[in-house]
Amino acid sequence: MDALAMLLGMVALVLINVPIAASIGLVALVAMIALKGGGDLLNLAITMYEGARSFPLLAIPLFILAGSIMNAGGISRRLIEFCSALLGAIRGGLAMVDIGTSIFFAEISGSAVADVAAMGSILIPAMKKKGYPAEFAAATTSASGSLAIIIPPSIPMILYGTIAGASIVQLFVSGIVPGLLGGFGLMGVAYWYARRYNFPVEQVFNLCRLWVAFKGAAWAFLLPVIILGGIFGGVVTATEGAALAVLAALFVSGVIYRDIDLRFLYRTTVDGVIQTAVVMLLIATSALLGAYLTETRVPQAAAQWLTDLTNDRYVVLGLLNVLFFVLGFFLHSAAAIILVVPIVMPLVNLIGIDPVHFGIIVTLNLAIGQQTPPVASVLITACSIAKTDIWATSRWNVPYIGVLIAVLLLVTYVPAVPLFLVEYFYR
Amino acid sequence: MTSLMRFRRGFEAVLAAFCVLLMVSLFVLVIVAVAYRQAGASLTWYDEVATVILAWLTYYGSALAALKRGHLGSPEVIRRIPASLRLPLFIVGEALVIVFFIVLAWAGLEVVILLEGDRLISLTWVPVQLTQSVIPIGALLFIVAQLMSIPDEWRRLGGEAGLPTEQI
Repeated sequence: MDALAMLLGMVALVLINVPIAASIGLVALVAMIALKGGGDLLNLAITMYEGARSFPLLAIPLFILAGSIMNAGGISRRLIEFCSALLGAIRGGLAMVDIGTSIFFAEISGSAVADVAAMGSILIPAMKKKGYPAEFAAATTSASGSLAIIIPPSIPMILYGTIAGASIVQLFVSGIVPGLLGGFGLMGVAYWYARRYNFPVEQVFNLCRLWVAFKGAAWAFLLPVIILGGIFGGVVTATEGAALAVLAALFVSGVIYRDIDLRFLYRTTVDGVIQTAVVMLLIATSALLGAYLTETRVPQAAAQWLTDLTNDRYVVLGLLNVLFFVLGFFLHSAAAIILVVPIVMPLVNLIGIDPVHFGIIVTLNLAIGQQTPPVASVLITACSIAKTDIWATSRWNVPYIGVLIAVLLLVTYVPAVPLFLVEYFYR
Repeated sequence: MTSLMRFRRGFEAVLAAFCVLLMVSLFVLVIVAVAYRQAGASLTWYDEVATVILAWLTYYGSALAALKRGHLGSPEVIRRIPASLRLPLFIVGEALVIVFFIVLAWAGLEVVILLEGDRLISLTWVPVQLTQSVIPIGALLFIVAQLMSIPDEWRRLGGEAGLPTEQI
């Protein structure tokens, strides 16, 4: 089957509300029959079983579970209290608290939707109560939520690393500087909004209050030290680090803070199962597509075609950025990685682009894609909490998206920004 | 409460409980494996069993996600099209999903039959038929979940009336 026909078929199926995973599976099934006849159908079951059995992907359900426990156990609430004591004295303090807490939460959670659910359910109502426009509250929470996939740990980076064969630990390290730059840039935009619209100051800075809040959140601060320290130090793998995150979250929430609610924990674990299964089914069906692409060598042909046009790596990176930016409007982040990365990796390797560098570029593109409707999971989650219209919220979100694009361009054209820590510690 | 609603509630509760059990098992297994490795006695069967649990979590969890219509998709277009077209396209979409999982269930069953006598590499007392059974069983559960959630999904898409744009 022709690659273009497959793409069109997939788009047509998605447009009539067939889930993306099933759309990929159906198109791959038809392609498989067209290529090899019906006799090869048993491979469907084998490929889909093996596609869901990749060892590095074990980290995904565990990081999702860790995020659920942290939400259920009040860790996010204590982080917010600390950031409120630290940043509340700045004009537009609650927006600063929102972004600052997201930076901390990003270090223990790998999912932007989890971050928005954790921060948004507390901070959006608080901002609305203080007179901030609901759309601004939703936009701030949404944009800062995307830091969760840039700052390690990061579920999209695990996915990318598995598909591209890149080191997940090095990908995590490459996200630290861009994530912090993005966070501070978002704070700058929030401050600009605060001055322009005269948003309130929360409280006078008080060192005693900060110390009390710090003591309250001290155990929460230990979580990233344990999780990321273990992974970066080579003591545990990313998967084991994810299990450690669950254990640490259970210990801090259940033993130290003693505010874990088992019924809520059960419900959030069920939600975590569903989030995991949604991503994993996509991966399993994409294994079918991958088998077809390998057979027909479509990615290699596409890479050859583009390299015949240009060999300049920065031009190619620019074109790939445009591709991911456009796809970000229409594809969920997991689907974008699963569908696009296997196709473009031969090109990336042929041009000589560092797969870790490309991984952080892909991740930043996905972070932007999570903010650009109509398909924008993180923005939509924030809007549903704030009860705002996604298009009206997007108008407030444009400057925040501008910050993420600026970080993307910096990361793309100054590779030292994401890679100097990787070079220093691992190469 | 109708008997269908009671069945659906029971189906969801059992499936959710089993998935939570799988998630907890995966967590415990990884922690135990780390502890053994740190003690200098790595578990030889850890990788194989953990990835089997992940595959089970994928397919049993997918059935649960189908029941709640949680799989990623784009309902926006079908919500906006004229009512006369919406129902036939909705039916076609649902039918195609079910056809895919029927084919998967059939292929999975054939594979399970072919694997008779095979055992896991690291745990030779565990039949591969058991681990691979997740494909036909998971596919069948997905079909049941998809069928049971059709009325809810039709309502979510706006039914006969469709949805005003600002609600989308």
